[in-house]
Amino acid sequence: MLELLAQTGLNAVYAASYISLVAVGLVLIFGVMGVVNFAHGELFMAGAYAIVALYADMHVPFFVAVAIGLVFVGCLGLLMEKALFRPLKDNPLGGLVASIGFLMILQALAVMGFGVRMEHIPPVTQEVIAFSDKVRLPVARLYVIVAALVLLSALWYFLKKTKFGWALRASAQDPEAAALQGISITQTAKIAMFIGAGLAGIAGALTAPLVSVNPHMGHSVIVTAFIVIIVGGVGSLEGAIVASVAYAIVHTFVTTFYDGVLADIVGLCLMLIVLIVKPTGLFGSADRA
Amino acid sequence: MTNFLEVKNLTMRFGGLTAVDSLSFKVEHGTIHGLIGPNGAGKTTTFNMISGFYTPTEGQVLLRGEDISGLHMHEVARRGVVRTFQHSTLFAELTVLENALVGTHMPFRPNIFAAIIGWDKEDRHGAEARAKEALEFFGLDGLLDEKAGDLSHGHQRALGMAVAYASHPDVILLDEPFTGMNPEETRQMMDLMERLKADGITILIVEHDMQAIMGLCDNITCMSFGKFLAEGGPTEIRNHPAVIEAYLGGARHVA
Amino acid sequence: MPKFMIWIAALAALIALPHGLSFSQQEILVFLTINVLLVASYRLLTLTGEWSLGHVVIMGVGAYTSALLTKKFGVFVPVSMLMGGVAAALIAVLLSFPLFRMKGFYFLIGSFAAGEIIRLLWKRFRDPFGGAKGIKGIDPMPDFSIGFYQFDFFEPTSYYYFAGFIVIICLWILWRIEKSPVGLTFHAVHWQDKLAQASGVNVRAYRTLAFAIASGFAGISGALLAHYVGTINPNAFDIDLMVFVLTWAIVGGTATFYGPILGCVVLTVINEIVLRELGLEQMRPLIYGAIMILSILFLPNGLESLVQKATQKRAGNGAAQRSPAE
Repeated sequence: MLELLAQTGLNAVYAASYISLVAVGLVLIFGVMGVVNFAHGELFMAGAYAIVALYADMHVPFFVAVAIGLVFVGCLGLLMEKALFRPLKDNPLGGLVASIGFLMILQALAVMGFGVRMEHIPPVTQEVIAFSDKVRLPVARLYVIVAALVLLSALWYFLKKTKFGWALRASAQDPEAAALQGISITQTAKIAMFIGAGLAGIAGALTAPLVSVNPHMGHSVIVTAFIVIIVGGVGSLEGAIVASVAYAIVHTFVTTFYDGVLADIVGLCLMLIVLIVKPTGLFGSADRA
Repeated sequence: MTNFLEVKNLTMRFGGLTAVDSLSFKVEHGTIHGLIGPNGAGKTTTFNMISGFYTPTEGQVLLRGEDISGLHMHEVARRGVVRTFQHSTLFAELTVLENALVGTHMPFRPNIFAAIIGWDKEDRHGAEARAKEALEFFGLDGLLDEKAGDLSHGHQRALGMAVAYASHPDVILLDEPFTGMNPEETRQMMDLMERLKADGITILIVEHDMQAIMGLCDNITCMSFGKFLAEGGPTEIRNHPAVIEAYLGGARHVA
Repeated sequence: MPKFMIWIAALAALIALPHGLSFSQQEILVFLTINVLLVASYRLLTLTGEWSLGHVVIMGVGAYTSALLTKKFGVFVPVSMLMGGVAAALIAVLLSFPLFRMKGFYFLIGSFAAGEIIRLLWKRFRDPFGGAKGIKGIDPMPDFSIGFYQFDFFEPTSYYYFAGFIVIICLWILWRIEKSPVGLTFHAVHWQDKLAQASGVNVRAYRTLAFAIASGFAGISGALLAHYVGTINPNAFDIDLMVFVLTWAIVGGTATFYGPILGCVVLTVINEIVLRELGLEQMRPLIYGAIMILSILFLPNGLESLVQKATQKRAGNGAAQRSPAE
């Protein structure tokens, strides 16, 4: 029993890692651009297909493929910023619709490029860290955990300690005041989109060998990410990370001991309860909605 | 005898800050009552507590002896106490007539089933007549189909009062009605208030600028730093040493 | 031409419409008719300023209720459809308690979560909801005759007439509500809820009312769907359809009653008929997505703004139109 608990705990850490990568990106985009990026799950999907194309089909070394995937998806983010969100700056609902349109385009491209079937990617490594007979952590999962720790720490450092990060936070809090301070809104928007999309891309790329890659895989990712950022409080990076961990623990344990559908229901109910008790999320402030 | 509108030991704390501290005063029926004080005296907070926008931390707001503090804004309104807002808070996307029609919500409560079948013709006519009457009262009857957002500043203020007036209120609460108005507009607005008073409506005005309402009010309550300072007729208040001190002190402070 | 002549001409065109179409196009026409009611009911909800992502699940509540009532209790089909609408409205009232504590984006996601919970409950509980496979063999609408026309509900044309009749009645009711003082109060709640409150409007009650009415009609549209298709499952009411409803409303524009309907009709015709005819089966979502993006970029006030411009030009300086820039 203890071993089962430990193993489930490890699974939860893995889940928390990739969920928080996706959710933090989503929060960053919402914070700076004020737009709900529905296509975020498809950016994750695009990252996964980068691995299919580069690593599985063209045999590029895995980590090189991941790096290219990160940059590629980050550039998709830049494209979205320039073509969609910048022209629709004053129309948040319009930004939402445009991101849905972009989602459909990315999905259609994936179907046309790779077909609807599941892609199976040859494992990157078969190595497993065995803590005991039944408590095992595949190294491929460890990559995801390490990436989340490293990237999120780097992001934290970037936001709190650098001039760019300061500008980013300033324009998230009050775009007009930030503009008066001489901060280029377009510049910060680009940085936020690149980082936000890139995080989703690298999460997709690293998890690609561990899941079944298909054009509709973004769906469950975006649903989870929405739950997480709502529970954490929209616009709060700390909240998103805390909520990712909490959600991953609850979801993984309910899935292991009961079933996946029930886990989804429990997760959604928890989110509703948080919203009922504190309608702006755990770490949210009232003025951003 | 119960008083018409009475504020009793009203207190509002925001965290550690006490915005209004145990304030008490009475408003006589059929009068124009001013609530004045320097900036930050807690006038608007008091106003918001009376209108049901805030729930007081302590104390009561009594209307004809009934405690109305802590009720929702629409419940306060349904008891005959209707407020206006600072600036030009209107249904900017709706026409002038539609704005006034929303004001008739209380006397002509819409019924959805009657509306679908068409059995509410009388109510609709009644509501429209009342809305037009209110608009005429404020000299807006020529602008029925204009969008409220397109009106001039003075007209928007008048419309805000017309919306309140359309509901047949007993008390109208006015939040700084003269801000941003030129002397001519101010004079017109004062005329309108006199006419409302003649119509039997009690008016409570919150105002920063003491001079503006001196000639208008029957009674004035002055507050400073959240506390009751003085009460009396305009002359009395004008010459009250504590009031002069508060305003001058405030002025020095600002300067 | 007098106004009623236009309406008669429109009605005649709607009656003649299915005869020029292929069988599969007739089927699409039935779905389109049902979706028109769905999107029109959605607009009523948006009147009070809230955008929900749970509307399609509410539609499903109507479908499941009506299907189960006929299957388990043998309720007569048109009656069960009405009950489906009532059930959907009641669920909406229930949901309003947690949901109306939230606003804006939180409401959007909160309504989505509430909808997902309902959907997952259908999935998880095989009895009575049939689990992931849903309910099969739902009783069809019984055939009947009205003298000059024999309704045979295996024919899409017959069902189109039947559904069309019901949808027109529902649209008429929705229209009456919007043009009534109740509708004006919905607008008031949307644009300035504080001022509405100060005028004695119980904002919470009106938001709930709009939510319940919108949900009731969505429920009826769901029931219409269930008894036509004969089988329903949780995935028929997932976020994909919701996204379509949302885009119909936004691409059409929500400032007018006809805006969302226009969006629904135009986008459906483009997606289901034009693109299929052109043989672009695989590229359909891609083109559809591109159209969505282009229309939101270049027609931010929706397709309805084109109609408004056209009619205003004809009517000279006609009555000022409301066109909130959302």
